[in-house]
Amino acid sequence: MSHLFDRENVDVAWCPGCGNFGILKLIKEVLEELEVDKNNTVIVSGIGQAAKAPYYVDTNMFGVLHGRALPAATGIKMANPNLTVIAEGGDGDMYGEGGNHFIHTIRRNVNIVHIVHNNMVYGLTKGQASPTSQKGFETKVQVNGVSNEPFNPLAVALSLRAGFVSRVSIGNAQHAKEVLKAAFEHHGYALVDIFQPCVTFNKTNTYHWFKDNTYTLDEGHDDSDFNAALQKAFEVMPMPLGILYQDKKSVLTFEEHIRKSEAKALYLNTHDISKIQNLFDSY
Amino acid sequence: MTIDELKSYDGRNNRRAYIAYKDVVYDVTQSSLWQEGEHQGMHSAGVDLTSALSGAPHGDEVFKEFPVVATLQREESTTKKEPLPPQDFKTDLRIFYKKYHPHPITVHFPIALHLFAAGFDIAFLNTFKEIYAVLVFYALFIATVMGFVAMLPGVLSWWINYNLSTQRPFVVKLIVATITLILGVIAIEIYLQDPNVIYSYTTPSIIYHAIILLTGLNVIILGYYGGKISWGNLGEEKMQTVSFDMNEPNIMMSSGSTEQESPRLFSAPASSVKIASDERNLADNAHQVSISILIGGAAGLGIDTLEKILSNAFKASGYYVYSTKEFMSRVRGGSNTTLLRIANFPVQAPCWEVDISVAMDALALEHMKERWHHDTLILADESFSGDNSNVIAIAMKESAKKFGNAQYGNTYIAGLLFGILGLEKSFLLQSIDKHFKGEGSNKEVAELGFQTGTEIENLTLPKLPNTDIKAVEKLHLMDGTTACGFGFLAGGCNMITAYPMSPSTGVLNFMASMSKEFDIALEQSEDEIASLMMTLGGWYGGARAMTSTSGGGFALMGEALSLSGMTETPAVIYLAQRPGPATGLPTRTEQGDLNLALYSGHGPFPRVLLAPGSLQECIDYGYLAFELADKYQIPVIFLSDQYLADTIMMSKDVDFSSYEQRRYITKSAGDYERYADTKNGISPRAIPSFGEGLICAVGDEHDERGQITEDYKMREQMVGKRARKNDELTREAIAPLCKGEGDIAIIGWGSSKGAIAEALERLDDKRLEHVHFVWIHPLSKEQLSVLDDYKYRIVVENNADGAFADQLKLHGVHVDEQILQSNGFSFFVDQLVEMIEKSLKELS
Repeated sequence: MSHLFDRENVDVAWCPGCGNFGILKLIKEVLEELEVDKNNTVIVSGIGQAAKAPYYVDTNMFGVLHGRALPAATGIKMANPNLTVIAEGGDGDMYGEGGNHFIHTIRRNVNIVHIVHNNMVYGLTKGQASPTSQKGFETKVQVNGVSNEPFNPLAVALSLRAGFVSRVSIGNAQHAKEVLKAAFEHHGYALVDIFQPCVTFNKTNTYHWFKDNTYTLDEGHDDSDFNAALQKAFEVMPMPLGILYQDKKSVLTFEEHIRKSEAKALYLNTHDISKIQNLFDSY
Repeated sequence: MTIDELKSYDGRNNRRAYIAYKDVVYDVTQSSLWQEGEHQGMHSAGVDLTSALSGAPHGDEVFKEFPVVATLQREESTTKKEPLPPQDFKTDLRIFYKKYHPHPITVHFPIALHLFAAGFDIAFLNTFKEIYAVLVFYALFIATVMGFVAMLPGVLSWWINYNLSTQRPFVVKLIVATITLILGVIAIEIYLQDPNVIYSYTTPSIIYHAIILLTGLNVIILGYYGGKISWGNLGEEKMQTVSFDMNEPNIMMSSGSTEQESPRLFSAPASSVKIASDERNLADNAHQVSISILIGGAAGLGIDTLEKILSNAFKASGYYVYSTKEFMSRVRGGSNTTLLRIANFPVQAPCWEVDISVAMDALALEHMKERWHHDTLILADESFSGDNSNVIAIAMKESAKKFGNAQYGNTYIAGLLFGILGLEKSFLLQSIDKHFKGEGSNKEVAELGFQTGTEIENLTLPKLPNTDIKAVEKLHLMDGTTACGFGFLAGGCNMITAYPMSPSTGVLNFMASMSKEFDIALEQSEDEIASLMMTLGGWYGGARAMTSTSGGGFALMGEALSLSGMTETPAVIYLAQRPGPATGLPTRTEQGDLNLALYSGHGPFPRVLLAPGSLQECIDYGYLAFELADKYQIPVIFLSDQYLADTIMMSKDVDFSSYEQRRYITKSAGDYERYADTKNGISPRAIPSFGEGLICAVGDEHDERGQITEDYKMREQMVGKRARKNDELTREAIAPLCKGEGDIAIIGWGSSKGAIAEALERLDDKRLEHVHFVWIHPLSKEQLSVLDDYKYRIVVENNADGAFADQLKLHGVHVDEQILQSNGFSFFVDQLVEMIEKSLKELS
């Protein structure tokens, strides 16, 4: 096994046994197996334990602010539509702080792979509830247990007509890899919500819990059926894993629309000065 | 040595004194004729005197005595900057005058003889000796004849050197000289009638002796004012200084850059310089006439259409046009006004009191009341003009209705105004044709309005002089928003992400319209946080991106601004200010966000603040914003405001080919490190997919390759690296534009430029000098050194907190007085004149 996307001399900041290790391995393998050009790939991440993943993948990266990976990724696609862009972060990062961007990036249909590490807890700030924490989850802050309805990213994405909506669990790495590959191959915005345990701050949602409370969608599920997908998105205990919905029709992506299908990177362009001159002179 | 470098050798404060002649630089420090860098009170060291020599009483042989220290290097743009005087008869005469001084040559005869006559007449009155009487008469006779001879070159000089200036010394001289000549003729006449009469106590005798003594006194007065013109700061010398200073803003201070690719960051378009100086020369013309028209009405009545039609028509008629709006934050109703000023000189500021006031509805009539002066021509529709005898009732609505649509009201008013002003109707009709493309009966309505207008008596309005239609035709009429947009385009802007917010939205609209012509990526973001994040993503990916916003939106960008600082990702932020706090006055103006722009974002990082004050500056500095952002990998905040954004002024031709299209992107090698430590702190910036390397840009503290680190030594290294960028950047700070010769500085920044400039022209007080800052931050010692020489410093700001004065104080500049205004309006020139006068009183 080669390690094309291993980054040298890095000090990994995760706890032993963390689900993030599995996701990191998954991403590197998928990039390698899909023969993605590392020079032509950018991983944009926010802040959080999950958002540290790109530091350990040997490709371009833009490490931004908590919650702000999606608009940065959008800007990169505007500037150079040829780049393969991945936005990566945790549930607090992407669904909490960056909730507004989550909504509008889906609406735009930016052609990116959106990977969300979902462990239902805040790790880096040491154990507060996240938007996806289950009701009743007790923490140092939510001392009487979480009372908020958990955020349902799949249902939200579907309601905004996302072209690719999926959920996997790192407990089933082989299945997760298949889904992630499909996400890369999707033309348009693709959401991959990945269940992972936080071994330090979430003693409720463990590997076992995820195993007991999820099931893998089989061929009986038609992933081109939007209504069926919507129904699946609301299923709980057990929660479905797999591609809930994908639109295989070629829908115009955000960057194709705003760049009028010109995929040319903007750094290669300069404006035609005589044209500026003429326009100015017309005033 | 360049012209810029030469400037620092001005001989003052123990500095060396260098002068240049025909591209050779001489050291004149040791010369007794060049003490303190001054030569005969006429010339200063530190400049090129090639053109001045033609007017000197000596030739170039004098230079042989001085040691040669360097040759003068002229950069293309600098050479172009020297405005070449037109080679006409007047110029020839001026050169002749400079060399031979015909007026001083001739004028000494009558002066001496008049004094001689007066002296001997006193002797005669004491002794009654005939010899004295004869001497007095012949002295007077020759003095009077010579008086005519001397007056002719004097009057000629008044024309060629001083443009028939009506300043006090010229007027006094003309009157006194004429009286002296007339009195001389009278006295000669009395004497020739009967020479013996002067011995008697008769009326003719008393008149004769009185004239002799009075003309003696007259020539003393003439001599005094003659000296004042030659040696004081009047007329021609003032004009020279002005045109020289107007060259200043486009000259970048020595960048001291070690980067080979850009020894000079900002190659200003040569054209800009010409524009500025031309405008000033025109403005110095003593015959400035302007008429102000205030049109008021509810939103939705079509004032904007009227503004457009009239502006174009006035321009076609050969007048400089200026218009600015004041409007309420609503789409329909309320009471808005548009102020139009037309003139035979470039107008760049609003006035509070107006010459013509047109009310489109009753509310507007009430709203505009405060802005009427004694002779304001007030026009209102007959339906609401009331019984106010000052108001001229016009059948606007009825006339418009005749053509079937009340919406014709504004074309009717356009016609009416053209009629009142006695302008050529065809220009208006062409403008209407162009706007409405022949639709409806607009032309007929305008003609009807025109007819009514010609019948209105307007004795109080100043008569508009004829102007050079062809010259004005070449000017470009646009608002500050559009000029900024062209500046950003020239700066290579190819991406904009923004959330609409008044008064910044115009730039987003402009770029949207330009995206049809150019490859510009544009997206309306979900919020201002996303705006700046997308912009940063754009730069990371290789675009030249920007965002536009106002104070509230900018406040949301704080964290992303800080990210720009940490990741060293460039950004250009157009911040159009409006009065806060919070929603404040959304459609009005203020320079209130300086501190926000300066201190926004956590942690220290270098940034630049630029604030243009004219169309030309919007373009020049719009271009510069992108250059600085790219070169230094920093956020550049471009401060405009509602006033500048929405005000329509005129720009001369701009040569866009002089804005070099540069990119500061490096092709990466395999071992590329995004934050490689360099001498000046600037790491070569590469972008993904261009080269072999990987680009790791991160908001955590990082090592040179962009990996997270908490190593304290690395932290210190990176803090130092970012700080060194700021040092380098500070050296680029552009000096303020100084106009005038006085020792009291009236200091302004950004959009107040036009108002301060015209206020000082109106005050015509030689103690005052206009100092205008566009480069607001970072301020440098060299940049501020121009402020050292003033006795007093008055800072004018369109805000309540005097934030810029605070910055000056922080940099050790003493501020004596502050003029602040934060009522939602920009400065009105007539009100500003009073405010400055009041401040001057406080000082004395």
